[in-house]
Amino acid sequence: MREEISETTTTLFNRYVKKWKDGGGKVVGYTCTYVPEEIIYAAGMLPFRLRGIEATSTSIGDTYYGPVICSFPKCVLQLAGEGKYKFLDGAVICNGCDSMRRLDECWRKASEDYEGILPSWFYYYGVPHKVADYSLKWFVEETKRLIDSLEAHFGVKITDDDLKKAISVYNKGRTLLKRLDGLRIMDEVPISGADALAVIIAGTAIPRDEYNKLLEELLEELEESKERITGKKRLLLGGSVNDDVSLVELIEETDAIVVADTLCFGSRSYVDLIEEDGDPLVAICKRYLTHSFCPRMFGYYKERFRFLKERAEKAKVDGVILQNIRFCDLHGSENGIFERDLEAAGIPCMRMEREYGPLVETGRIKMRIDAFLERIS
Amino acid sequence: MIVAGCDIGSLTAKVVIMTNGKILASPVIKSKSRPEESAKEVMDMALSKAGLCLDAIEYCIGTGYGRGKIPFVNEVISEIACHGKGARFLLPTARTVIDIGGQDCKTMKIDRSGKLIKFITNDKCAAGTGRFLEVMANVLGVRLEDLGALSARARAPVALASTCTVWAQAEVVRNINEGKSIEDIGASVNEAMAKRVAILVNSVGVEKDVCMSGGVAKNIGVVKSLERLLGVKIKKLKLDPQIVGALGAAVFAKEKLEGGAE
Amino acid sequence: MRSVLREYNYNWRLWNIVHNAAKICDGSDKEYREAIRFAPDFNKALDAMISLGEPGVLTLKAIDGYLEDILTAHEKGKKLALITYNFSPAILHAFDVVPMGLEQITGLYTTIWQKGIAELLDYCCEVGFTETSCSGQRVALGPILAGVGTMPDFILYSTAGICDSNANAFAFASAYLDLPSCQMNYPPTLIDERATEYHREDFKYMIAFLEEYTGKKLDVDRLKDICEEIIKQDELINELQELQRLIPNPEPGLYNLLLYSIKIFFSGIKDGTEILEAMLKIARENAAKGIAGNGHERARGLFFYIDHYCTELKYWGWLRDNGISHIGTMMTDFWQADAPYAKGREDEGYIIDTKNLDTMIDSLAAQTSRLPMVKQIRGPYDAPHMWLDDTVGVAKLMNADFLAYMGTMGCRNTWGMVKPAARDLEKLGFPTLILYGDAFDDRVESIDALINRIDEFLTVRRIRK
Repeated sequence: MREEISETTTTLFNRYVKKWKDGGGKVVGYTCTYVPEEIIYAAGMLPFRLRGIEATSTSIGDTYYGPVICSFPKCVLQLAGEGKYKFLDGAVICNGCDSMRRLDECWRKASEDYEGILPSWFYYYGVPHKVADYSLKWFVEETKRLIDSLEAHFGVKITDDDLKKAISVYNKGRTLLKRLDGLRIMDEVPISGADALAVIIAGTAIPRDEYNKLLEELLEELEESKERITGKKRLLLGGSVNDDVSLVELIEETDAIVVADTLCFGSRSYVDLIEEDGDPLVAICKRYLTHSFCPRMFGYYKERFRFLKERAEKAKVDGVILQNIRFCDLHGSENGIFERDLEAAGIPCMRMEREYGPLVETGRIKMRIDAFLERIS
Repeated sequence: MIVAGCDIGSLTAKVVIMTNGKILASPVIKSKSRPEESAKEVMDMALSKAGLCLDAIEYCIGTGYGRGKIPFVNEVISEIACHGKGARFLLPTARTVIDIGGQDCKTMKIDRSGKLIKFITNDKCAAGTGRFLEVMANVLGVRLEDLGALSARARAPVALASTCTVWAQAEVVRNINEGKSIEDIGASVNEAMAKRVAILVNSVGVEKDVCMSGGVAKNIGVVKSLERLLGVKIKKLKLDPQIVGALGAAVFAKEKLEGGAE
Repeated sequence: MRSVLREYNYNWRLWNIVHNAAKICDGSDKEYREAIRFAPDFNKALDAMISLGEPGVLTLKAIDGYLEDILTAHEKGKKLALITYNFSPAILHAFDVVPMGLEQITGLYTTIWQKGIAELLDYCCEVGFTETSCSGQRVALGPILAGVGTMPDFILYSTAGICDSNANAFAFASAYLDLPSCQMNYPPTLIDERATEYHREDFKYMIAFLEEYTGKKLDVDRLKDICEEIIKQDELINELQELQRLIPNPEPGLYNLLLYSIKIFFSGIKDGTEILEAMLKIARENAAKGIAGNGHERARGLFFYIDHYCTELKYWGWLRDNGISHIGTMMTDFWQADAPYAKGREDEGYIIDTKNLDTMIDSLAAQTSRLPMVKQIRGPYDAPHMWLDDTVGVAKLMNADFLAYMGTMGCRNTWGMVKPAARDLEKLGFPTLILYGDAFDDRVESIDALINRIDEFLTVRRIRK
């Protein structure tokens, strides 16, 4: 993979962010796929999805968070505490799930002990957990307030035209990523799952206009490339948040290739486009509220199973690996029913609970992956 | 046809050398800090027992955590598959294999040929693994191999927190201080262990016959509790349950030479 | 789950135990002493309840009826709704739907059933539910998933955005059993116009769901009776909580358990009112005599999250025997606008207005949105009207000597911020203890170890008088 892309998967303050900051640009962090990047982009800033890479311990994370909490937000907090997120000018914390939403308090409280780690604009953003006309109405208002706060703090103005442009740029990016999906599900695959994940992650850490250009070039290269991966077991990777390319590398070290995913650092972030007609704010909110692919949207199991099954079938996978970070009960338990229903549909499936970041124990994960591949061979 | 299986685990290293379905040697040693050292030492031991040199081994399969580091193997296979294969070799009617090793616990369902159909592993923490028993035996001041027998002699087993090894340890200490008998506490340790394992086994579903591999299979207290919790008899394997993984690897090696699975 | 355990209907077994226990109370004291020996699993908890006198006996009888209603719902042609405890069952009675509270039943299992709870908990894990999920749902859910509990007709839950673990258990049950479900959720703020409108619309959404799945219209007259009963109950609760402010606190610690049990089991129905009246009678008598409900009062503890519900109510007995006045939990904050702790903060409370259907719906929507946890942990804990505000308010009002956090291992939401919250509370001058046990699962930490921790804390911090 191109170095500039792989750099973004392992380094928070990558060359693009650095260039952006050097040019006087502002960077706003956000916690999950329920925060509309378009709003931040329309404000002329760089939306940057918060991640826990580079964390080598969770000593700070464990100081504020309790023991039975997902290690992903703990790692994010760790990095914040270590000052690695000082390049952020703002951050939006959303109620994606209970572990993530407490990043709000923990980060603020940690900043009482570690000076200067809290971005000057730190905003708590609510997203309803259901789809209904009144929840959409509330969400539009909530997003309007987000805009107001952004505008007031940074002295900027976000017009409807800005929003429309943002929609069109992000839709373009999503369409390109869907083109990447098309390549991945071919019989002869031009890109490994690990590289594909790197490309997708890069989209959350590179200014979108630049990213779209990069992605277009890359797609052309891949489409023309003669190098194809064949003869491997085809897998779909699903479950809770994963921005760790090494997990996919571990899977692919064996005789397997990940050709599809249902991850939030993955297809869940781009399969749905935003309508380009009508009120742009409403269109944005509609898209973000109705893409109910995270189990944080309670009561949409059937929709999510359909999505998973369709993707698995389209990609002609031999098996599905459903992972979740320990204490993510939302994905963890839904994985349990997915397994039941996928196996019933004849798609072999393996569930796997793991830790995030520095705690990853590759030996144990590898043992299971090996056994799973032996099972489906 | 002489084949070998080499299982380098986190706590012990095992080798099985076989010829025509007969076991020539099956030594077990404590693992060294480096897997390649363990592998060499245990293989040397096996070879001298069998009176063979390494070149005599026609095919060798490695398994266990350290399998990637074994210098003399032709191929590696996951220990999950090997335990299934080994158990099937010893007990042709086995369909469910429960393996409790030093650091993890797994349950495998296998078909008639010993092929893996479904499996589940629990390796997120020590509660529910052999390590749990080791820690508790240590606190109780009994030898690990004597822990199992305590269950039969218990009168009133105590309640024990069992979700976390560290806390369970504190509970055991408290019970000792309160004058509870070693038998009663030991029985609770075995019961707690069995309960955690039972969840895993039930997750894949019990299918007869059921057998156990791994060191904990020697703990009669755990085995009895498990039988009660699962409502099935656990069939005893004819060999040291610790070597089932290595044995399975050797069986795989034999099948390889014979050209494909049976 | 062992096959032998699959042979019984669990709801039936539970009902049988409570039913017989409730009958024991009708005999003479001697008969009672004789009979209780035959309830080996349950005698300590039973004795603790019965020693409360009339309130305890009435509670047992009312729970007997509650469980019987669940068992007989279908033969009586009624629908059975699986609900969470963060949901007021009152509205269901207006539809003649029988409520089956998941955590309520978990609480009953863990209180009275010493053997077999672990297997109920674990059954959920065997079918794919994570073992890190909250024990509060897992105990009662196990038999339902295993097909050995009474099967509900539909599921109502109202914890999305409050407690994901809780909502997730219901979402799991709905997906696993393929049952229709209705989910209510809450914005992170409480009293602004947007939040009020959301509460109202969401409540109406739930009513529409009930209409669809019962084929009935909301019975307005019945609703009015229920609302009036709620008003009556709230007045009684207000006085009971006002009396708890006295030093010494004239009420036994278990009164707190009864207070919220009434809210989650018997809100708006006469059974609940009768228990409250009986409690108040004793509390007034104790107050007049100046005696403490929990022995000789040596310290006043606010358990600012939840309590401990397993191991034969040993936790409650220890508090009583050690003169620790239990002066409330988050679970006892219901936020009726005239509650003692709502003084000066009336806008955060609810008022039941029975004028017409619209006002009643608004009132119940407001009430539901202020239920314990629903109010306090919906947004950042230190935001206005949330956990910190409420804890400090009650701690001051009740003259707390110490605060203790007790939860479950599945509680992502509070484990996500209880450490900073405890630090804030300490800074404000309240000795604060975080307990690492599990309210429903004593395999996490045994009750004796838990009590040791409280004891040690009280000693080291020199809290006891």
